[in-house]
Amino acid sequence: MIDIQNLHFAYRKKPVFTGLSLQLQPGFIYGLLGKNGTGKSTLLRTIAGLLFPDKGTVQVLGFTPGKRQPAFLQQVFMVPEEFYLPDVPLSHLVDHHAPFYPKFSAAQFEKYISEFEIPSGSTLQNMSYGQKKKVLISFALASNAAMLLMDEPTNGLDIMSKSQFRKVMAGALSEEKCIVISTHQVKDLENLIDRITVIDEGRILFDETAERISRKLSFELSFDGEEIQQSLYNESSLRGAAIVTRNTGDEEGKLDLELLYKAIVLNGDAVTAVLKIKPTL
Amino acid sequence: MTQTFDARRWWLLVTKHWSENKKKYSLSLLAFSGLLLLWWIFIVMDNHRAPAEDIQINAYYVVLFILGCLYASTLFADLGSKTKALNYLTVPASQAEKILCNLFYGVLVFFVCYTAIFYILDFVVVKAGNAMAYNRWLQQHDPRSVFKKETVANVFSGPSGLRDKGFSLYLLLLYFVLQSAFIYGSIYFSKFSFIKTVIALVLVGVFVSVVLAKLISPILPPGNFRDGISSFQVYTVKQASAGQGTMIYSDPATDKMMSIPSWIGQVLIFLLKYAFAPLLWLATFYRLKEKEI
Repeated sequence: MIDIQNLHFAYRKKPVFTGLSLQLQPGFIYGLLGKNGTGKSTLLRTIAGLLFPDKGTVQVLGFTPGKRQPAFLQQVFMVPEEFYLPDVPLSHLVDHHAPFYPKFSAAQFEKYISEFEIPSGSTLQNMSYGQKKKVLISFALASNAAMLLMDEPTNGLDIMSKSQFRKVMAGALSEEKCIVISTHQVKDLENLIDRITVIDEGRILFDETAERISRKLSFELSFDGEEIQQSLYNESSLRGAAIVTRNTGDEEGKLDLELLYKAIVLNGDAVTAVLKIKPTL
Repeated sequence: MTQTFDARRWWLLVTKHWSENKKKYSLSLLAFSGLLLLWWIFIVMDNHRAPAEDIQINAYYVVLFILGCLYASTLFADLGSKTKALNYLTVPASQAEKILCNLFYGVLVFFVCYTAIFYILDFVVVKAGNAMAYNRWLQQHDPRSVFKKETVANVFSGPSGLRDKGFSLYLLLLYFVLQSAFIYGSIYFSKFSFIKTVIALVLVGVFVSVVLAKLISPILPPGNFRDGISSFQVYTVKQASAGQGTMIYSDPATDKMMSIPSWIGQVLIFLLKYAFAPLLWLATFYRLKEKEI
């Protein structure tokens, strides 16, 4: 669905990507994690055709995004961190914006709007930032675009809305869709992301499915000094030490994205090594 | 559906643009109508009669140039804001459709609306001005004089004295070229595009003048262009008496005429008259294609 090969990109003289390669498949929700300024938003914009690679190739659904052909734009919807919506009633959005998306479903839009508790007859002008964001997310999902790119989608949403967001997103994924979510709010997306991709200094630092991580790694609280010392990552908390360690059992553990991210950034090689170990028969 | 241009998709874009901007456009037209009306009222009150045809025509072109260029410089202002640019660029329509939609509003709709409003107000003001002048004439007139009514001017005929020379056509062509430059400026400059375009145009004007004065003129022999730019009459140069330099003068018997084939001259004139605006639209199109945010 997305095939990025040897991507090079720089803002004037500041390089962002120096040979990044990545493949994303339909049917997954990808979590794109990374420090500030590592190129998460730049990657999403490149996939959406808003930035052009300096070198390398980007293919999305068989299209070259930079050409911004209508058939490509109909299948890709981007929910940016900062966005603009015209000051029109919601009905105008459906009447005048939706016809550009052949698979748009007005019924789905109504459903998502009601799940987000937005009054259907309201005007965007009178809405708060969070409400507008929920409208945009609803529109993006109702467009049924094959590729959904979301940059910090939970920023600006209140606690209840974040739960609503998780619920709505979980129900929106299908075999044909690929959803990429770039975020720092990892707690908001736990149990939602299928695959975790960490970008650091313009390269893929980590790329693994949530299922495999849960099978191979364990995230727990420990009071055992030896266990803490041997863990892949640990941090002290009021209730002992939160650790990331090898999952020696057969069952999948509960994934803690925040701990995993810290473990990858601070002890990436060890984490990757554990994940690469094949199960013994 | 073609990926370059589809009429249905273009029309969707036109209706979307209208639904998002109708409030802004309606208020702008209302404000412009109010200002123009105030200006006319001032003219009528000051002169105690309807504005003369030349005043109407001058007013039409002065306001057209100012408003047309101002509006043109806002045509792609959305691309100066990251959030609005993203919204604009990700709409599933081709770049050609987007450009043609903006040109439809910026060039055609603006021109038609402006001309219509100007004529409506002009008609009302000329009628009211004539009525006022007639009442005044009835009270103060010399019995031997005849009341002369002002008429609504045909702004496309040009001011008196220049009507036969197609002056208004040249003015309109100049307007469209200038407006196209401001449209290009609105996509080229992210912020303060009007001021920056004015500065750029002044710099281009200075550059062309310098090139003509310092580079072209010195290499041309003494003489003058004839029949537009297709012929050049080289004046006669004669050695004056000893120590008094040369004499340059025009004598049909000894002057020389350099001409290029007339069709080349006609093509050049045609390009100068009609090609600048479409070329600038084309440049705007390519600028949009390479726009990154």
